[in-house]
Amino acid sequence: MVLVLGAGCCFVKGYVVEHLLHFRLLAKLSQGRMFSFVSKRLSLMMMTKVCCFQRNFSSALPPLVPVKLPSKMETHFWYVLPDEVKSESLLSQYSELLSPREKKNLYHMQGDQFKKSALLARVLVRTTIARYQTNCQVNPRSLKFKKTIYGKPEVDWENGDKWCPPPLHFNISHTSSLVACGVTVNVPIGIDVEEKQRRLKNKILAFAKRYFSPDEVKLLTAISDPEIQRQEFIKLWTLKEAYVKAVGRGFSAAPFNTFTIRARVVKMGGFHHFDTQHSEASEIVVESSDDPENLTRNWQFALLDLAGSHYAAICIEKENSAGGEAGVPMRLTVWKTIPFVEDERVSGTGAVVPISGLIKQL
Amino acid sequence: MFEQGRISSVNSVSLSINGKSFPSLRMRSAPRFRVSCAAKPETVDKVCQIVKKQLALPADTTVTGESKFAALGADSLDTVEIVMGLEEEFGISVEEESAQTISTVQDAADLIEKLIETKSA
Repeated sequence: MVLVLGAGCCFVKGYVVEHLLHFRLLAKLSQGRMFSFVSKRLSLMMMTKVCCFQRNFSSALPPLVPVKLPSKMETHFWYVLPDEVKSESLLSQYSELLSPREKKNLYHMQGDQFKKSALLARVLVRTTIARYQTNCQVNPRSLKFKKTIYGKPEVDWENGDKWCPPPLHFNISHTSSLVACGVTVNVPIGIDVEEKQRRLKNKILAFAKRYFSPDEVKLLTAISDPEIQRQEFIKLWTLKEAYVKAVGRGFSAAPFNTFTIRARVVKMGGFHHFDTQHSEASEIVVESSDDPENLTRNWQFALLDLAGSHYAAICIEKENSAGGEAGVPMRLTVWKTIPFVEDERVSGTGAVVPISGLIKQL
Repeated sequence: MFEQGRISSVNSVSLSINGKSFPSLRMRSAPRFRVSCAAKPETVDKVCQIVKKQLALPADTTVTGESKFAALGADSLDTVEIVMGLEEEFGISVEEESAQTISTVQDAADLIEKLIETKSA
């Protein structure tokens, strides 16, 4: 069971609570496990005591707990479930972190669920990036973002308050019920999340014929069960989106129907240990009709069943040294988080079920 | 007080004095005028309808030409579905490059009319 700090009494500047929070998060991050029952009870008691004591004080957000950057071969994946963020005062504090333009965009959005997830997406990306700045303290509110000429978002370090750029790459994706941010060091990343139950308004095959590659249409057409066909469609969509977002040059650089993504069986053996119950692992590959050679051999994919409710696709560029070498898994750590409140490392648990791709969960 | 006009395009300058804007003065340049037309209201309405249906928006949601797809809750899959719906409704074909430039309902309506015009030309 996860301890969720109650609304209204958590965000105190009290010394004890800060350190408790810090300790709890650090313990979780290093062990990746729940506390034992005894320490859970103890910390709950202590927190309740201090929380109640501090309840009448004005609340403020605690400092962010720093996180170590992923290593060169690692991918970090953070997600928030909007339904778990219930506190109005917390949400209001979150909106204070946004830039004027982000606030304006949010103001114009229609639909409460959508607005909430859009807010959480901005908060997640700001706090996550700020937490990786271990050399200098960065206020998540002071981060500035810009877009490349192709429209891919990135951090604008030069115009921000501090000049301590780490070589990190990030990408975000959200639905109204899940908000995610992927982080890598040195290599581009693209992610996409989609609700498993998502239905198309158009007919699947008509859509696929219009937008997917001929090979993908063939694969989908061969599936007779409409529900399985729908699921495979959504999975394929997330993979294609993640790829285009990782490449970062917009749809026009990689129109959907010019590349095919599919799973390819890889024989197990050698040093690599995969997270799969099958004796054969499947590697996801992308083939481009425009550029059969170079571009497509460098991309690595993972497809996950996340939180039981979403498909999540991750696409990263392989580092040069690993390029061309078959069978190297994506080393992946996944956290479920509520910014400023708690983190829970969920990689290796039932919340993260690999579907395909060579993945090693950490 | 006279305020410096902003040059917004090669052929026209709009002046604003004391906050009131004056109609653009078109300066003559070589052979012809460039006049841009906004899409017909019927086209805009049709686009609004398709968008509302795709996004399953409550009936009382206001959708106008200025509405941004992103602000209405459209994600990338919704946007592509909307484009596909527009293609079917208007009998046109929208290239991905053009689809990327659409951010409002008005953009979509303008693009549709341009494509219809090109098609019948």
